[in-house]
Parts: sequence; C-alpha cells; structure tokens
Amino acid sequence: MVDRFKGRVAIVTGAGRGIGRSVAMLLAEEGASVVVNDLGGGVDGEGGSDAPAAQVVAEIKAAGGNAVANFDSVAEYESAGKIVQAAIDNFGRLDVLQHVAGILRDRMIFNMTEAEWDAVLQVHLHGAFNMVRNIVPHLIKQDYGRIVLFSSGSGMGASGQANYATAKEGMVGFTRALSRELAPHSITVNAVYPGGATRMTETIPDSTQQLRQTQRSAAAGAAAAGGMSAQGAPIQGPPEARAPENNAPKAVYLGSEVAGNITGQVIGTSGWPMTLYAPRHVIRSIHKPGRWTLDELDDLMPISLNANLVNPVPEQTPR
Amino acid sequence: MGNRLEGKVAVVTGAGRGVGRGVARLLAEEGASVVVNDIGCEVDGSGGSHEPADSVVAEIKAAGGNAVANYDNAADMDGGENIIRTAVDTFGTVDVLVNSAGITRDRMIYQMTPEDFALVVRNNTKSAFTTCKFAGIIFRQQRSGRVVNMTSDAGLGDIGRSNYAAASEGIIGLSRTVGRDLGRYGVTCNAISPMVETRQFPGTVDEYRVAEGIHPTPAERAGIGTSPPISEWEGPGYPDDPDNVAPLAVYLCTSAAPNVNGNVFGVRGGSIFLYSNPTVEKALYKWGTFTMDEMDILVPKMIGSGF
Repeated sequence: MVDRFKGRVAIVTGAGRGIGRSVAMLLAEEGASVVVNDLGGGVDGEGGSDAPAAQVVAEIKAAGGNAVANFDSVAEYESAGKIVQAAIDNFGRLDVLQHVAGILRDRMIFNMTEAEWDAVLQVHLHGAFNMVRNIVPHLIKQDYGRIVLFSSGSGMGASGQANYATAKEGMVGFTRALSRELAPHSITVNAVYPGGATRMTETIPDSTQQLRQTQRSAAAGAAAAGGMSAQGAPIQGPPEARAPENNAPKAVYLGSEVAGNITGQVIGTSGWPMTLYAPRHVIRSIHKPGRWTLDELDDLMPISLNANLVNPVPEQTPR
Repeated sequence: MGNRLEGKVAVVTGAGRGVGRGVARLLAEEGASVVVNDIGCEVDGSGGSHEPADSVVAEIKAAGGNAVANYDNAADMDGGENIIRTAVDTFGTVDVLVNSAGITRDRMIYQMTPEDFALVVRNNTKSAFTTCKFAGIIFRQQRSGRVVNMTSDAGLGDIGRSNYAAASEGIIGLSRTVGRDLGRYGVTCNAISPMVETRQFPGTVDEYRVAEGIHPTPAERAGIGTSPPISEWEGPGYPDDPDNVAPLAVYLCTSAAPNVNGNVFGVRGGSIFLYSNPTVEKALYKWGTFTMDEMDILVPKMIGSGF
C-alpha cells in the first residue's frame, strides 16, 4: 500500500467493470476510500445488477483497502446526488471524482432513434453534469478537488456513433469551462481519451472496425498533407497493451494532489503511452477588412484554408 | 444575385434572427428555396413567436427569392421530422441543412440547475441531431447533401456557460461523425464557430465581464490571438455583424469543396479560420504499464510542464 491518497475519498462511477474497475482498485491501493459506483447494466444501459460493484468492493477489501458499493444511476440528478451522499455518509468527505460510467447505442445517423440518442447523452454528458453539480459544493467548501471525466477519442469522429461522439466531445467542452470556473477553488477538471479491450469495444462489429481503419488512414493522409493529426489511432503494441488497466495510473495521477497544475486538458490514457491533446486551434486563416463574397471564397478557399484537405470518407460510386 | 444553388432546397434552423437569418437570406440569393425555421423563442428558450421566421420569409420574397416559414422545434424528434418534411412537401427535396438554432442559459456551475444544463444541451445539440437524421435519410437516397452546424468557441472553455460549452463541443463531435456516416453518399458536414454580436452574445456573464474589465474583447474571450483587431471596415455590414458568417456557410453548402468534410471553421469579422482537429501535443512512452512512481517523476517534466 502507498499513501498518495491517504485520507482522501474518491467516487468512481462505472467502477464495476473494465476501466472504471481498475481506476477504483488503484485509488484504493494508493490509500483512498472509494465509492465503487456501478448499476451493473448491460453495455446498452439495459438491466442492472449489484454484483459487479459488490465484487470490486470485495476485491479492494481483500487487498486491505477501504471501499463501499453504490448502485445508483448517474443519469438522473437526484440519484447522482445519492452517490455523492454515499461518500459523505460513509467517509465524511469527498475529494476525487472519476466519471467513467458509460453506455453504447451505436447506429448510423440516418437510422438512429430518439431513444438511442437520449440514453447515451443522458449517461455520459448529463451524467457528468449530475455528478459534478452534486459534488462541487463539497469541493468548494474544502477548497480542494480533483475531477476526471472519461471522454473518448470517438469525439474526433467515429462512424455510427453520432450520439456517443456528441456526448463525449461535449464532455470536453464541459471540462474546459469547468476548469476555468473552479480554478480559484483549487479544483482541477480534466478529460481523458481512454482505450482498451473492454465489453464496449467487443461490441464493435469487424466491418465497423475495418471502416474506421479506412477512415483513419484517410485522416492520416490529410494529416501528412495539411499539418493535421491522425485521429483515433489504434493501440500500438502487444495484446497486453490493450488491457484496460493501462488507463488507471494516468487517470489516478490526474486525480492526485501533485497534479494541481494540470487542468482543463484532454489526456490520452489509451494503451501504454500517456499523451496530451492540444485543443482545436487556428491553423490557417484568411483576412480582409470587410465581408467576404462568394466569388472571393470560390477563388481563395481552394488555395488557402481548403488546400490539401482530405475527406476522411470521400464519395463512393454505388456498387 | 448568384446561381450557385439554383434549384436546390435548403433548410435553416434558427433562421429568424442572427446568424441563421443571414445564412437563409444568402442561400436564397444564390437561388436556393429555403425553409426558414424558427420557433421564435427568447434567448433562454422560453416563449415563442411566428414573427421572426415570417419576417425573414418576407425579406427573402421581397428580394425575389423563394422561401417558406416553419415554426417547429427541432429539438423534438417530431419537430425535426416536420422541418425536413416541410422542405420535401413544399419544394420536393432537401439538399442543404444549416443548423443555427440555439439558446443560452448562463450560470456558474455551482448555481446551474439541471434544467439549465438539460435545456441548453437539448436545444443546441439534439436539434442538430434530429434534422441531420431526417435530412440524412434523404441525402443518402439522393447521394448528395451539405450540412453546416453552428458551434461556438465557448467550447474552448468559457466561464459561466459550462452547459453551452458542452453543447458547442458536442456539436463538433456530431459534425465530425455525421460527415463520416454520410461521406460515402457524397455528403459533407462541417461546423462553423461564429464570433459575432447577436442576442446570445453578449450574454449576462459577458456584460458583467466587460463591466469589470475582464477579458474585454471577443478575441481574448475566444483565446485567439492570430490577428490584430480589425480597425477598418469596407463595404456592407460591420465587424461584429452576424451576416459576416453567411458567405462561408453558403460556400460550404455549394458543391465547391467536396474535400472539406468534418472540419471546424471560425468567422470573426473579415477573418475566416480553419481549426485543427485534436492533435497529440506531447507524449510519454514506455514499453509497459506506467507505475505511479514513474508518473510522479515523468509527468511534471513532460505532460505537466508549462502549465
């Protein structure tokens, strides 16, 4: 046991399985008292079971750690409040939030239903708000806090995930705004782009994997041509590099006291490396002292802003 | 009056005022038949009126263009479907979709109600989802289409509107994905971040900050320091005129740039920007899983240095 988190209390949502589980275990190993939250639903958010969270708590306790299970949903404001209350009731305080809980309802945009859209946004994005909003008064009162929101590289664009990409990139915007609002209270807020072989990635069909690989190659072509980065690169290395446990040290580090200067950032935790993403920033610009006309844009855009941009999914002739 | 969109049908949400109005008018000038959608609500989403959409339709018709008003709320599934249906029923199809509908409810996080967050995310992102979905069905069948979604640099981290920041960055995630879902059918989808003066801006927090002298200029607010402030202006409009967004939006709706898909642009006065996609700026590598001890030593020197 180490004591980086001695006397600290952490909530990990979605801690029953996968990445959340490894984050909760590492926090406990480092001395934190952990609220292991998981409603134990399927990848699509249906159903529920106490078993996953209870199992993780048992493992933490067996290793000499301190943890309590919680089965409330992050998707509703009131039930998210109960998760926060569980930390206060059991451990008397609250320092760290790791919001990992998430579900998938993949569908191409033209087939996606309202229920698929709503469910995914509710858990990821509204869930992030519900947790943060309930926690923030406690953190402000003690003038200390660490918030880590699990976003996704899918926010950079992933076929069949309009709901998921919206929710996850929305969490990045939320993170950046919060980091500035909460900085005066010594509270840091960061987002991570995680990765690893979990239940969630197993659901992706091979055909979709292939499609995304093609799109990545196209985006990499665009990167080479236009000074832009490749997107959503797959995890490099042997199979063990895909273990969800690889995310934990980086996410836990962001939740530690020593990471106080890192806030409002997007950190890649996928695989073995740890990466820092630059926010979208202006890479090309054109200027005139007046309103542009369409004639001017027709002439100028192809040789300036649009030069060498590569469509990641160019038009295909029907077979 | 040009003819770049002669015979095309366009839908513009939030077209009753501000940025949407300018885009709808220029689309019509270029020959498109336009569905002018606006529920005519207040900036915070309350209320409703037919007047904004009606007046834009009247303006377009007075200028010799072709337009019809629609008052459905795109944030409802039925509303989104009805907006696209209005285009199909009135003009036969839909070729161009511009999502400009949006609201703001500015609050610091510790004062924000669940309703403040939910309403802004719903009105600003779900409205783009419903229209993209139903227009996407038609785009896929006709194997062509153009989508432009309005976002905001509030997504880069704006104090006092974490809900709007979430919605804005969410719209970018949506745009990148819609461009990938529909790209093979000849559709492009891009986002524009306008920096202009509308009902939404300055909002309550902005007024406070300007009064207090905190980050007084739009450029500073947006964190963009790439160009000097515009000191001179020639021709129609003024530097903060929302109509300055229309030329770029309409350009992206023409067939001129099939290679531009899933990108984010910005407009401020006479400046047009292209944004990077998220880029890995720094990286720590190890052949194996990092330990906490290693991170304590390495992160402050690399990832965390300079903050």
